[in-house]
Amino acid sequence: MKLDNTLPMEYRSEENSNRILGFWLFLGAEIVLFSTLFAVYLTLWTRTGSGPDAKEIFEIGPVLIETFLLLTSSFTCGLAVHSMRLGLKKPSMVFFGITLLLGLGFLGVEIMEFVTYVNEGATLQTSAFLSSLFVLLGTHGLHVLMGLLWGGGLMLQIRREGYTLETSNKSFIFSLYWHFLDVVWIFIFSFVYLKGLM
Amino acid sequence: MKKLFPIQHVMGYLFSLILSVVALSVILWDMSVALGLTILLICAAVQMSVQLFMFMHIGENKSKTALYTNLGYALLVGLITIFGTLFTMIWGYQIK
Repeated sequence: MKLDNTLPMEYRSEENSNRILGFWLFLGAEIVLFSTLFAVYLTLWTRTGSGPDAKEIFEIGPVLIETFLLLTSSFTCGLAVHSMRLGLKKPSMVFFGITLLLGLGFLGVEIMEFVTYVNEGATLQTSAFLSSLFVLLGTHGLHVLMGLLWGGGLMLQIRREGYTLETSNKSFIFSLYWHFLDVVWIFIFSFVYLKGLM
Repeated sequence: MKKLFPIQHVMGYLFSLILSVVALSVILWDMSVALGLTILLICAAVQMSVQLFMFMHIGENKSKTALYTNLGYALLVGLITIFGTLFTMIWGYQIK
């Protein structure tokens, strides 16, 4: 296997850099997926029928907590990759662990938010606004959940094998995914919540 | 300890927190919808760049031309989807 030792470990073999390129291509498809959901939401968000509208159900408090948790987790995920590149396994694992815990916290707040909505009579079936809202938020939340399972499995593997050509590559790709979810959240924060409360 | 927190990452994090607070200003103060949306768009675009360049290291990849092309194409398709939908479903009706 041809290795270019001037590169960080996750890029070092040709297979590794191809995997990273492939994942970027996947993220391109994810951008389009979320764009379609945003298109639906932005078209339907005033169609509230007999249900509540955005101003009535959105609460800025939990949303700010979610934003803070996800921004911080994106930061710690970046730090995890940074320590990984320095060859520091333990700090990197700790940062990945914090990342996943913050992600779990985000998901917890989001689930509580959904429960509050449903208790207020705002369900998936209530109106076009709520259907599109739940589908957009739910798709993002599902991605976070998948990220938690993926990151958890990854941490087990790193603990067992350390940072090898394979695990460092997987960790870097996981970090790309996690930062991407943060970007999607920024757009949800801005164009769903803040725009809805404006 | 210091080498675990590179300045670039810390600045990126602080910057993204500040941008979120700036975006928050659209609901704290009374302003026109156009101004509010402009602030939101700019903040979101800058936040995205912070993530892309500082955290996702898009610029360091040796196939970065391919990455930029792919990303640009994905954004183009996404924006056409969003604005095309808004144009046909909402704005189109208002043009008399």
